Amino acid sequence: MRPASALLAPALLAATTASVLAFPVTVESCNRQVTFEAPPTRAVSNDVNLTEMMLALGLADSMAGYTGVSEWVKLDERLRESTGALPELSPDYPTKEVLLGADADFYFAGWNYGMRVGGEVTPDTLAAFGIKVYELTESCIHIMEKPKASMEDMYNDLLNLGRIFGVEERAEALIADYRQELADFIASLPTAQTAPKVFVYDSGEAKPFTAGRYAIPTALIEAAGGINIMDDVESSWLEVGWEPVIARNPDVVVIVNYGQVTAEEKITFMRENAAFKDIPAVVNDRFVVLDYVEATPGPRNIEAIKRLAAAFLPS
Amino acid sequence: MSHKHLAGPRHAVLHNLPLLAAGLIVLLVTVMIAGVSVGAIGIPPDVVWSVIASHFFPGSVEVTWSTGRDSIVWEVRLPRVMLAAIVGASLAIVGAALQSVTRNQLADPHLLGISSGAALGAIVVLLHTGLFLGLATVPLFAFIGALATTIIVVGVANLANATNASRLVLTGVAISFVITSLGSLGIFLGDPRAAHTVIFWMLGGLGLAQWAQLPYPLLALAACGTYLLLNARNFNAMTLGDESATTLGIPAGRFRMIVFVVCALLTGAAVAFSGIISFVGLMIPHLVRLVVGGDYRRVLPLSALVGAIFLVVADTVARIIIPPQDIPIGIITGLAGGVFFVMLMRRRSNAG
Repeated sequence: MRPASALLAPALLAATTASVLAFPVTVESCNRQVTFEAPPTRAVSNDVNLTEMMLALGLADSMAGYTGVSEWVKLDERLRESTGALPELSPDYPTKEVLLGADADFYFAGWNYGMRVGGEVTPDTLAAFGIKVYELTESCIHIMEKPKASMEDMYNDLLNLGRIFGVEERAEALIADYRQELADFIASLPTAQTAPKVFVYDSGEAKPFTAGRYAIPTALIEAAGGINIMDDVESSWLEVGWEPVIARNPDVVVIVNYGQVTAEEKITFMRENAAFKDIPAVVNDRFVVLDYVEATPGPRNIEAIKRLAAAFLPS
Repeated sequence: MSHKHLAGPRHAVLHNLPLLAAGLIVLLVTVMIAGVSVGAIGIPPDVVWSVIASHFFPGSVEVTWSTGRDSIVWEVRLPRVMLAAIVGASLAIVGAALQSVTRNQLADPHLLGISSGAALGAIVVLLHTGLFLGLATVPLFAFIGALATTIIVVGVANLANATNASRLVLTGVAISFVITSLGSLGIFLGDPRAAHTVIFWMLGGLGLAQWAQLPYPLLALAACGTYLLLNARNFNAMTLGDESATTLGIPAGRFRMIVFVVCALLTGAAVAFSGIISFVGLMIPHLVRLVVGGDYRRVLPLSALVGAIFLVVADTVARIIIPPQDIPIGIITGLAGGVFFVMLMRRRSNAG
């Protein structure tokens, strides 16, 4: 034991010194440059997926709490374990008072993931109180031009969080693991199949709410070997009519599961509606269910891609 | 007069404007203090007082609280309570003035298209252009929208010779429908996931209040309010009808248009910072007239004070009813307004 711990101490010292020397660090958050003199110690993250990203990097000790979960998404069992004693400061988006009351010094959120354009809590309004904000990359589309959604967005966020909290090596290791896991999985699948056409069904009966080019499900579907039928629509999440859905003949339907209407109810709706009877997905009964936390950027995306890839295999 | 049944000392009090105003000012200060003391985060009253004292008299109090709590009291709650008072007073006095010159009991600041114009400005900024001028963008464009709509209404009213009371209201309503539809088009063409951003703005909220922005609505209230108060006698004459007003030496049509523009400026300045808060302008003048009668020399200043008190209380309720969340204030005022009108109708049916 002694020789091992003798090696451990200097290694830890080296690692800590290395991360300390990395400061001050500047990261790019949407269209802003944010500089950190030291890692935040009272961070707040909003929404399940962003909180999971923080926890995946082992940052629970640097957090003051999280927000925006129990109002409309059921807290997952695994997340409940990881959060431990971290309080939920607000069931919905936090107000300035909530963040100040927690003495927060960092807020990890996104546009429509904890902040609203022109709303009470934005990087500009929080800057006056010394609360730095890092914005979820996928959500930047709401305030600026951005390329199509991809898994790189999520890796980029993890890397930036690693830099901000001085755990860059941990972040790089995590990202490398994810990449490897995905690559291995894709390699294990039978090759040379035509990419199935996929329709993302979030909600809505008169008109469906679906994911367009800039929403992360497009990236997940492509990583799993499919094509989102709406990936030519220059939008993030949007409402379309049923006609384009029927016209584009999806082979698989991905249901996003959250809220009051269950996935079963959504599947039943599509099965029973006469207008959809000729859609290949309905005819062959090819439905996949993704939980909300899997269909929004975060560590669960990896499992989501695996499940999608398995469902895309010809039956 | 509504208070004919009162006699003696009570009657005298209701006609004693300085006494009433002083009483209401005391009440206003009380509710403002209460508003600053409560909120989502529980802060003991002695800390609240110490924070305020330490800002007014730096160095007089030993700092035992965190900067977070200091910011909550001084940068979040206090500007918010002040904005509530300013906006409440603005909307109420505008409501009283418009109800007089249009001789329409249901006239309020939002009726004549001003607020739809402000909403259109906000929608364009929030959903399409983005905040390219920083935090000032939404208030600026909301104000420009309100102003542009006012110019359109005045222009159309003059062109269509619709400067008499009822036709001005019709013109305002018509333009309001057009502008509202354009606003809805703006929402439809924008990112649907961001549509709730606009909904929150339109439901009204005082969460964006900052010290730096307070001078604007305050200046508007001071300037426009002074004009309205100085012309209080003219409002009394206007309630008698255009012909009677003219024989008393007031150019009725022109006065109406001027008042409309002044009210539009004041409403625009208020709405630009708070979103659309319904019922204050409609309900408060009725409430005040019920108690002190129809003399606008009393109704105007007292509406302003009661409006301020009402909105401060509504904002406090919005912040503490389901903590730590902050209900859009338009919901609270709408509910209160609805209940008030039902009670008003019951009272009228009992009396009449």
